[in-house]
Amino acid sequence: MKAAVILRQVPDVVEELVIAEDGRSLSEDDVMYITNELDEHALEQALLLKARHTGTVTAIGLGGDAARDALATSVAKGADEAVFVPIDFAARGDNCVLSAHLAAALKAGGYDVVLTGVYATDQLDAGLGGLLAARLGIPYVGGLSGVQLDAGGRKAVVHKEYPGGRLGVMEVDLPAVLGIQSAEQPPRYVPVSKVMQARRTLRVKELKGPLPQVAGVTVRKLLKPESSAHAKMLEGDEDAVAGQIVNLVKERGLL
Amino acid sequence: MSPGGIVVVAEQEKGELADITLEMLACGRETADRTGWPLTCLLLTDRAAPFKALPLAADRLVIVEDPSLGAFNPEVHARVLAHHLKAMAPALVLLGNTATGMDLAGPLSLLLGGMAVSGCVRVAVEGDAVVATSRLYGGKLLAQTSVPAALALVLLMPGSYPRQKGMRDRAPKVEVQGGAGLAGPLRVRPKGIIEPKAEDVDLRKVPVLVAAGRGVQTKDNLRMIEDLARTLGGAVCATRPVVDQGWLPRSRQVGRSGVTVKPRLYLALGISGAPEHVEGMKDSDLVVAVNTDASAPIFDVAHYGATVDLLDLIPVLTEKLKAAKGGK
Repeated sequence: MKAAVILRQVPDVVEELVIAEDGRSLSEDDVMYITNELDEHALEQALLLKARHTGTVTAIGLGGDAARDALATSVAKGADEAVFVPIDFAARGDNCVLSAHLAAALKAGGYDVVLTGVYATDQLDAGLGGLLAARLGIPYVGGLSGVQLDAGGRKAVVHKEYPGGRLGVMEVDLPAVLGIQSAEQPPRYVPVSKVMQARRTLRVKELKGPLPQVAGVTVRKLLKPESSAHAKMLEGDEDAVAGQIVNLVKERGLL
Repeated sequence: MSPGGIVVVAEQEKGELADITLEMLACGRETADRTGWPLTCLLLTDRAAPFKALPLAADRLVIVEDPSLGAFNPEVHARVLAHHLKAMAPALVLLGNTATGMDLAGPLSLLLGGMAVSGCVRVAVEGDAVVATSRLYGGKLLAQTSVPAALALVLLMPGSYPRQKGMRDRAPKVEVQGGAGLAGPLRVRPKGIIEPKAEDVDLRKVPVLVAAGRGVQTKDNLRMIEDLARTLGGAVCATRPVVDQGWLPRSRQVGRSGVTVKPRLYLALGISGAPEHVEGMKDSDLVVAVNTDASAPIFDVAHYGATVDLLDLIPVLTEKLKAAKGGK
């Protein structure tokens, strides 16, 4: 089995998101990056497949320098190969550009499965997995919480999540692109010392070349949501807040 | 079809329309009334009969009926939709920002040459552009986007438009067609559905839900949340990340891929309010949210909020509730 996993660097939404002066992008200096959470699940799923079948996992890190750290972590977790794909700040969330940029390299790599998170938090378009599969002319199924490969490596049986906890079972001919919602187990933890070690010995291939000129979604402006309603804030320390919640519960006859 | 039409790609399950279909029709109706464009509902199914007389707010209902269209198959659905949409050449196509719509957006946009926009909560047409407002960065920001109004594929977030406006007092003109566009070998084959196990508790029937988000930090902390829930005569539920950690069973997950709940009280602890969670709890009677991040989107959904540390709050709150119960 030959698997590729695509790991995107996305703005960490726990940090404050500062809108740049142009009003339609984030202020680059203020962005803190993390690996897109569902891409971490895609990596975990690939490593689980590797443990069940003989094979290799190639981690493909997209973004700025933060992507190199993500690759070191991936190798420390068990990825066999690391590929860094530098992406200009403006294009990082643009899956139309990313899919066009990656298609040739993924085709040349001859992977049986390409795994990626079913969506990214900076996504405004159709999503990376579906666009990639369409460009490669291979099947795509997303929203997956389980992937099994048959012994011959010619097809996968996947579990696709539907609302209400229902799971669709589908058989997919390989090669295919799979959009992961959650791996079969939580992404593994790897100690910092192992990441440091991996970083020292890391051999990263780089996908060079300019980004393709592909039309994408035009962002006119970014804005903070102005909700029609905002919660009435309960002030004070935990004691005061607890007292107010107890009153609310009493008023509603819920006690 | 005249140029500039709007097509809603319906979602159905076992002979019933999904809520998102009515919400897309409400969005499509509003846009159609503003632009004067015709609104078509395009429905793929293995059985047309249950849908023929529905009073949908579309001008026309096109049902594509074929035995292969029973279970969702991204490959088959994309092929059939591409065939029909190419012929209809609408300006705007509405898809659900759902498990099925998200599978179709990529292939359809390349097959049709139209641009897809996801996470949309508002849609408008300005000249020859579709202008959409989308949720971005876990709902922390909104993006106003524009794409050409030529087979523009807009993925609508569930809950963005009132579903009752997707119906009206009369049924649209109905056409039933065969499954054209199906030729060719299939590389994706649906093999069935695994129904969720009937597990410990049905969250939809519990009047008080205490919901744990990422802010609970550790599995051990769930114990005091369970104590709090017991005191309130309710149950513990959680967001997806908590369930993915294996801290609670899947049956306790509230949100898009979990359960949709409407309890009398929803106490959201350490929950940021990502759109896919909010979808499953926003209709609760009373929402009280506790999160140290004052800018967390959950406070736009909650009726009451507090930014104290939940680990400090919970023991105090539980004690006060026990005391209040005892003193009744």
